[in-house]
Order: sequence, then structure tokens, then C-alpha cells
Amino acid sequence: MNVALRGVAKTFNGVQTPLVALNPITLDVATGEFVCIIGPSGCGKSTLLRLIADQLSPTAGAIRLDDAPPAVARQAQQIAWMAQNPALLPWQTVLDNVRLPQRINRRGRHPALDPTDLLRVVRLADFARAYPGALSGGMQQRVALARTLATGAPLWLMDEPFAALDELTRETLADEVLRLWHTFRPTVLWVTHNIAEAARLADRVVVMSARPGCIRDTVAITPPRPRDETAPETVAIIRRLRAVLRKSMTTA
Amino acid sequence: MHERSAPTLKRDVISAAGIIGLTLLAWEIAVRFNHTPIYILPPPSAIAGKFWRNAGYLLAAAGVTLGEALGGLLLGLTVGIVVAALITFWTNLERGMLALSILVKATPIVAIAPLLTLWLGFGPLPKVIVTALLTFFPVLINVHSGLHAVDEAALALFHSLNAGRWELFRYARWPSTLPYLFAALKVVAPLAVTGAVVAEWAGASAGLGRAMWLAYADLNLPLLFAAVFCSAVMGVGLYVLVVVLEKRVIFWRWNVQTRGGEI
Repeated sequence: MNVALRGVAKTFNGVQTPLVALNPITLDVATGEFVCIIGPSGCGKSTLLRLIADQLSPTAGAIRLDDAPPAVARQAQQIAWMAQNPALLPWQTVLDNVRLPQRINRRGRHPALDPTDLLRVVRLADFARAYPGALSGGMQQRVALARTLATGAPLWLMDEPFAALDELTRETLADEVLRLWHTFRPTVLWVTHNIAEAARLADRVVVMSARPGCIRDTVAITPPRPRDETAPETVAIIRRLRAVLRKSMTTA
Repeated sequence: MHERSAPTLKRDVISAAGIIGLTLLAWEIAVRFNHTPIYILPPPSAIAGKFWRNAGYLLAAAGVTLGEALGGLLLGLTVGIVVAALITFWTNLERGMLALSILVKATPIVAIAPLLTLWLGFGPLPKVIVTALLTFFPVLINVHSGLHAVDEAALALFHSLNAGRWELFRYARWPSTLPYLFAALKVVAPLAVTGAVVAEWAGASAGLGRAMWLAYADLNLPLLFAAVFCSAVMGVGLYVLVVVLEKRVIFWRWNVQTRGGEI
């Protein structure tokens, strides 16, 4: 699914004065592309993602997902949403949590992805009957990942999904995500504030500047995956991203 | 979980029995030491004796009251939950329904109970209604809060899945309301017994309230206290039942707690 943003802007009605969250943003993401969005906190990167997810409406501009508005794509269950909070239902087993997207809104078309297989894919087959409360944070995010796969959606919108995890778990899960991305080939928009994570995952990194948010720079990342963070070319990319990010913070 | 809860339960029972036992002992000693007449305040031993001799009579009365209390509790629970769900689905109703509920709640039950008896007779129906009037409000308020307590992350997820209102209710809102519902039940279950007894004071053909009223008219204070004791035990019993049910129904909470923060 391709994503096209044309002059998308968002202003919130503040208590006293309107708050400009996003200046007009124009961005194209190709089908199957993995794009990371980084920026200082409060730069509106999550707002941008929520606009694409049809959770907010833009004040100006147009969003097209395969030439349709986000609401249409969402109603057709073409958007998978995953955030920092795995939002698992604690009263349902791990398997039932993964099954949730296929139980809800049955009118949508569902691909034949079996939840049990999906648990195997995220290496949690042994925990199908467990309740989320018994799992570690990293395992909970893996359940959320399996649930994301269960939607069968061609567009993944990821709002800092690993922000609450420790470094080691984060790296393991990032490799897992890349493996799944290679298998299922969704279009991914991934918001993060972690530069190394962006360098490890993305085809392209969009750097945003602080409020009101706008795109400061776009950096293509060409080295093949898996990328070693200590390899000279990755280090060079991280260094470059860091420089752009620092500039975007000081000029704000 | 089970191997941990057993000793805790034992400790709780010992603690409760100890404190209640000491209170009764102090009561007994104070009454005997002061030579308080039995028609003012009977000692616990006299009350126990009276209970023993009138066990059949008191337990039959308790059965009637328990039925009324449970009936009223069920009605209050149903009304509270249904109204809370209605004003969650149709927010236009919220202000009006809450205003009406507060009005009903603020009406003195003691004034309403004789009226209900006048209209509906000496049978169990007015008692059920009084108990329902007393119990629906805490349920309504708590369930209403619970239905709005779904976390933002879950709402975003269900929105992305294009879930309908009913699906959101069934899979997210209702289960996350259960802890709030049980918090209300803990308040309301013992209150239901009070409601039934108060309603019986306003005129009844059977029940603990009637037994109390008759004993009071005779200045038979040991019997009066024995009846009071029965209603108190019933209230405690209902409370314990709610606690036991809570652990079964909201099992996921206890699972997490017994894991001791190893998230």
C-alpha cells in the first residue's frame, strides 16, 4: 500500500490559543517501503502517524492510502496499529489476543493467517494458553506483533513500539520485525526517537524538527540488512542522522 | 497462588476472630461490672442463650430477609448496570439520568418505606424495592466510571480494527468495568441486608426486621440483639461471597499481583 501526504497540516484548538502541531508536510512512501520517522519529542511525529491512522483529521492537505482516504482504508482493515503500550486484553489468553483482529469487524476481508501459526512465527507457541499478565514486556510486544500480523493489513503504523523495552530486547525484536517484514512485505511507517533503531530498520529515515513539526531532512539507508551497528557505513549513517537531528533541535 | 493464599486466609481468620472475641469479652465484662439491667444492654452470653433457644424462629426470619435482600440487590444491580450502559452508549441521556438518579438516591428511604408498604402491602415486594433503591446508586456510579476507564491504547487499537460500539463494549469496556463493579458490590452487598431490615421495620409479615420490632415492643433486648446479630452475620456473609467471587471473576488481577512485579 502506498502512502501519499500532500501538504498535510494539523492545528489543535488549544485552551487559549490554537496549537500548530504540524506545518504542511508532503511525503510519499512506496508500497513495501520501510520508513522511520525520527525527531525530538513534541515534533508531531506521533500526530502525523495518528493522522494517517484516521485517529485525527488534518486541518489542511490530503492523505491518500492507495488513492483512498484513511477512513476507507481503516474500515477495510488495511491499517495495523501498534504502539508503545501493547494494549493486550489481560482477561484473554495470548492466543485470543492474537485472534482479536479476526473476531472483530468480520465484514472486513481476512487473509487466512492462522493465529496459532502466528504465535509460532513470533516464537511464543508455548504461551498460547497463558495470560498476558504472566509475560515479560518483550514477550507482550511480541504478542502485539503477532496480533498486528493477524490483521493481514498491508500498512503497519508503529508508534514507538519498542520505546518501553530495554536495549537488548529492543534489538532482538527489531531483528524479528525485519524477518517478518521480509516475509509479509507490508509498508511500514515507524515512529521512534532512537537513532540506532532507525538506522537498523529503515529504507529511509525522515527527520522532523521541533514544533511546529515539519520534515527537516530525508536520509536514504542503502546498506543491506542485517546491519551491524559497529560497521563503518552504519556508523556513518548514525552520525549523519545525529547531526541532522541536532540541527533540527537548535533551529526550532 | 493457592499455596500462598492458604496461610494468608488462616491469618485473616485468626485476626478477625481474635478482635471480635476480645470486643465481646470487653462487652460482657463491662455489662457485668456495671450491673447494667438486661432491658438496657444484655451481655453477649444472654444474647447467645436467647439465640440458641429461638434459633428456629430467627433462622426462618433470616431466610425471609435474605431473600428480600438478594432480590433487591439483583434489582439494584440490574438497574445500575443498565442505566450506566445506556448513558455510556447515548451520552445525551447522561445529564438527565444522573440528575434523576441522584434525586432518587437523595430521597430519605425511611420516609419512602412506609409509603411503599401502604401501596404494596406487607409482603416482600416493598422490601425488594427499598433495597434496590439503596443499592443501585453505588453500582451506577462505579460501573459508569468503569465503562469510561478503558485505556487510550486499547481504544486506539479497537479504532484501528474498525470495531463497532458493541464489539468495543464486549471485548474491552465490560471486562475493564468488572473491578469497578466488584468495588461497588463490596459496599452494596452488606447494605442490601440493612435495606431489607429497615423496610421490614416499616411493616412486615415476616423477616428479621419484624422480629426486631416485636422484640423491641416487648423490651426483650436479648432477642432484639440476637436478631441484629443474625442480620450482621448475613451482611458479613454476603461481603465474603463477593470477595470470593471477585477473585474468580477478575482472575487476571490476582495473577499479575502474585507474580510480584517481575514484568
